[in-house]
Amino acid sequence: MKSPVRLERRLEQPRQLSWIIPLVSLLGALVVGAVVLLATGKNPLDVYWRMLDRGFFSQRALTGTLRTATPLAFTGLCAAASFRLGVINIGGEGQLYVGAVGAALVGLWMGGSVPVGVTIIVMILAGMLFGAMYAAFVGVLRAQFNTSEIITSLMMNYLAGILLNYLIFNSSSYWRDPRSFGFPSGKPLDKRDYWPAFEFGGLSVPIGLLIAIAAAVVLWVVYKRSRLGFEISVIADSPRAARYVGIRTKMTIISVTALSGALAGAGGASQVGDFAHYLDAKGLQLNNFGYTGIVVAALARLSPLGAVLVAVLLGGLTNAGYSLQGPDFPSGLVGTLQGLILFCAVAGEILTKYRLRSNRAGQAVTA
Amino acid sequence: MTGIAVRMSGVVKRFPGVVANDGVELEVRKGEVHALLGENGAGKSTLSNILTGLYRPDEGSIELNGETVSFASPREALDAGIGMVHQHFRLVQPFTVAENVVLGNPETPFSIDADSISAKVSELAGRFDMAVDPNARIWQLSVGEQQRVEILKVLHRGAQVLILDEPTAVLTPIEAEALFRTLRTMTAEGRTVIFISHKLDEVMSVSDRITVLRGGRTVGTVDTRSTSTRELASMMVGRSVEFTRVTRRNPGDRNNVVLSVDGVSGNDDRGRRALHQVSVSVGRGEIVGVAGVAGNGQRELAEVIAGMRASTEGTVTVGGVAVPSGKARAAIAGGVAHVPEDRLHTGLAAGLSVEDNMALKTYRTPLLSRFGMLRRGAIAEQAAGLVERYDVKTPGTATPVRLLSGGNVQKVLLSREFSTEPKVLVAASPTRGLDVGAIETVRARLVEAADSGVGILLISEDLEEIMSLADRITVMYEGRLVADIPAESANREQIGLLMGGASPEGAQ
Amino acid sequence: MNSNLVIIIAAQAIFYGTPLFFAALGGVFTERSGVLNLGVEGMMLVGGVSAAWASQHIGGTAWVTVLGSLLVAMFAAGLVAAVHAFLCVTLKANQTVAGLSITIFAGAVGLSSYLANVWHVAEQKVPRQLVKLDLFGLADAPIVGPLLFDHTVLTYVSWVLCAVSSWYLFRTKIGLQLRAVGESPQTADAIGINVVKYRYVHTILGGTLAGLGGAFYSLAIVPTWVDGMTKGAGWIAIALVIFGFWRPDLTLLGAYLFGALQALGIQLKTRDVSIPGDLLDALPFVMTIVVLVLVSTRFAHKRIGAPAALGVPYEREER
Repeated sequence: MKSPVRLERRLEQPRQLSWIIPLVSLLGALVVGAVVLLATGKNPLDVYWRMLDRGFFSQRALTGTLRTATPLAFTGLCAAASFRLGVINIGGEGQLYVGAVGAALVGLWMGGSVPVGVTIIVMILAGMLFGAMYAAFVGVLRAQFNTSEIITSLMMNYLAGILLNYLIFNSSSYWRDPRSFGFPSGKPLDKRDYWPAFEFGGLSVPIGLLIAIAAAVVLWVVYKRSRLGFEISVIADSPRAARYVGIRTKMTIISVTALSGALAGAGGASQVGDFAHYLDAKGLQLNNFGYTGIVVAALARLSPLGAVLVAVLLGGLTNAGYSLQGPDFPSGLVGTLQGLILFCAVAGEILTKYRLRSNRAGQAVTA
Repeated sequence: MTGIAVRMSGVVKRFPGVVANDGVELEVRKGEVHALLGENGAGKSTLSNILTGLYRPDEGSIELNGETVSFASPREALDAGIGMVHQHFRLVQPFTVAENVVLGNPETPFSIDADSISAKVSELAGRFDMAVDPNARIWQLSVGEQQRVEILKVLHRGAQVLILDEPTAVLTPIEAEALFRTLRTMTAEGRTVIFISHKLDEVMSVSDRITVLRGGRTVGTVDTRSTSTRELASMMVGRSVEFTRVTRRNPGDRNNVVLSVDGVSGNDDRGRRALHQVSVSVGRGEIVGVAGVAGNGQRELAEVIAGMRASTEGTVTVGGVAVPSGKARAAIAGGVAHVPEDRLHTGLAAGLSVEDNMALKTYRTPLLSRFGMLRRGAIAEQAAGLVERYDVKTPGTATPVRLLSGGNVQKVLLSREFSTEPKVLVAASPTRGLDVGAIETVRARLVEAADSGVGILLISEDLEEIMSLADRITVMYEGRLVADIPAESANREQIGLLMGGASPEGAQ
Repeated sequence: MNSNLVIIIAAQAIFYGTPLFFAALGGVFTERSGVLNLGVEGMMLVGGVSAAWASQHIGGTAWVTVLGSLLVAMFAAGLVAAVHAFLCVTLKANQTVAGLSITIFAGAVGLSSYLANVWHVAEQKVPRQLVKLDLFGLADAPIVGPLLFDHTVLTYVSWVLCAVSSWYLFRTKIGLQLRAVGESPQTADAIGINVVKYRYVHTILGGTLAGLGGAFYSLAIVPTWVDGMTKGAGWIAIALVIFGFWRPDLTLLGAYLFGALQALGIQLKTRDVSIPGDLLDALPFVMTIVVLVLVSTRFAHKRIGAPAALGVPYEREER
């Protein structure tokens, strides 16, 4: 049995593919999504319009969108950083939790004793450190024993979730508010340590998002301009060439995994400092920021600046989902649409590597 | 038509840019061991791949037992009774011997009973005088035992014609003896064996008749009893090709040693010993050619010198300074340049740009990076300079190397290696797969480098290349370097014999 | 702790372990063919919601309803698995990203929740549940009664399935060829085994089994529909595949071990024993990491049989 078309390896990757393919993927997802909506008795145009409206078309909507986009930008950068090296760290979820634990620790400890600028820096650094160490464990196992980082980082997400539950619900830890008996919750930060947001005429931009943008720029520079970035690209392209020029591959794997974890950890710090202002064990686990970060990175095709952009896009989608949730806008729709976008992106990625060829005529039928 | 098992006539197979088989004639009698002899690239593998249905010939016909046949897949060939034992085994590592043997046989019953298949395989192995435990897992077996499993697989499917592709390349001499006994039991049963090899001695000892291929054409078929290794060697390498020695502006100085390899041993990727106390020295401006058929330890030797592979004993000294074993950065810093066999994925990172690849060895120098940050401008400038100087045809320095033609890929690699201002260059098959023009350019660059004082160790299967470029010639065979012949006094026949494993005394 | 408690926990271990086993057995088949499936959680949830919906809509006797619900669950999850197979086998996509996108698409905040909403599944009870069958009237027998004769029909099915799968994988020609595909698709292809077909069939088979596991939650454990009701069981199932060395029998034992930890946690909580239950929750994950490190050494790798081509798309060499 012969299929009418086959995939053929592309020799060249035309430059415009880098924006055509995500765009086509997005459109494809919207079309498939429309079919799903129609099949379940919804009007797709109406749904899409309302999502745009509630995600982007008012200052309030946009403020909410940026709020959701902030952690996604960090976890997206986390995934992009490691995927570039071919290390599939899907532990952004857990690294974000652990970063939040670290940031809450130093935040509570400082208790308003220093200027807020110092607090922000110290909390971010603590979040990064905790996230980095948590991720480095995965990196060491991969580098030393060649243990699949996919599964270990996944398992560690659950361990981090259990740690959060333990700290807030099942123990009287430093993080738990001693005054909360009936409904356990985290100890709040001193009001003076809340991270300020920047107001642009009604639009409030969390400082975490600005830090994420800065991190994206730094990451971009590291990839494009640093020796480390150069070595990463060589290892990713050909491990044998890396051996040939004497690059220390194991050390690079460990450092990049740690760097990736540090980015997710910074996202955790921002969750504590920007939004929750305490270690929110439930809220952190509710949103799957880490897993959605992988969607972000995949859609951005691992570009750091692209990841921030996609985070805002997906943040808008998610945020619209929250605010529209109700009888005629069921929960689950957002996840479904995100999944569809991701399918199309995955399928679209194939077209960067291969092109469809007709088996009969032997000529390319699509780009 | 009895008596003839396989007849291939007028077989032509073209690949883009190469004619691999150019009108090959082959006639194999039933019940004989028929050797197919030739250098690498003579067309042996292509011919056997045609016979086993992997490739379809562009022209020509195949007859099996007098009937014209045409195979669309290896499976069809197997069904017709032609089985091949490849050089690279196709075995499932965690399976037992018996499981591997029955895996591909359509006659295997649906329900598999471990004991009964073991018994069956055991019986089959015994019949052909092969010692192998049917319950052992493949990864527990030596290479020789794994080869027996491959042979058993083919026999179990009922093959009447067995093709063995360089079967002794991976065997110890004792294992090879055992294999030859097995081949004898097969032919005694009326099966036919086609034995592909480039080793003269073993062809002489195992085969009944020999067909020699050269450059994709049949040179002739001879009876083993009425020929000699000397005659075979001359058939294999040919006399007709005229070659001229290059003229050198500055002849090498063999006494001013820049590279000295002393008693170096090392293992291959599977942990088998691939180098046995190899010693060789290269003088300033000298080109030393290492001839030999691939897979005799050349890659390991090159990698040990370039610091990519740790040696188990012996030392490598460059410009009088010992280079620590297995440290590529130290070797590069010590002045070793290396053009590996696998240019595109070892010597270069194919997906990266020309620019990045040209900086691959020097990106850590202060010229190209400071404080951990690359100086992109300097890297681009260096690349532009090298592109111009070495006449690399590329759309730009940002183009991925993968998109360049073979000759230009090699130019990128060479230009980068020379840009490190090396004392020594180890070049492995530097012109393989290139077109004529590119070959000339690459050779000219090598000579130019030698003229300027670089000591070159030229490892090549291409005898003509070695004879025309090298000042001295040595031959690598089974992990050892044999002979050290000044180029002026070398002749093809003698070197061909050494490449085929003849002792240096016998080759005189 | 008295012996009575031990038996209660053992019986509950089997109960909680059953859906884990189904999902993990599905993983064994899928991974044995060389396809990594990180979409198990999503497939389980789709199975769960479809089973709940079907049990609310299929009339007839209890048996018909339950059987129909299970088939619907298998079909729906199998459909999701077919998408995974298409992405991984035909499009040769990155299997990790494809699997994760399945879970995001179908998971707790995705399609399963959406379908529950549009089908109004959560608003009603599940009318026909998977009830415990008193097999041979022996459920009240001491010790063996609760352990062996007081389970739902799916538990009995799982025991049969465990034996049948072991036989299929290790004693039949198809099983042998399947394992060859997962170990070395090049070898399999060279001897004429259809790699693509084997991978599709076993990925979809794995999905249907994950769907059964999900149905066990909505028809027996909870038993009604709650968004995200499997609470990570799909990930534990993925861990279990490794933990059970890709073998059905060991996977069954592993599932009961993990089920026992769950049961122990519940028992301790109801008895107010102050051993932190979190530690028990963490154990499966810690154990999986330890096992994974052990099997990734080269020495163990060959003996234990992680399919060598797991997660690697197969491309035929072309000249």
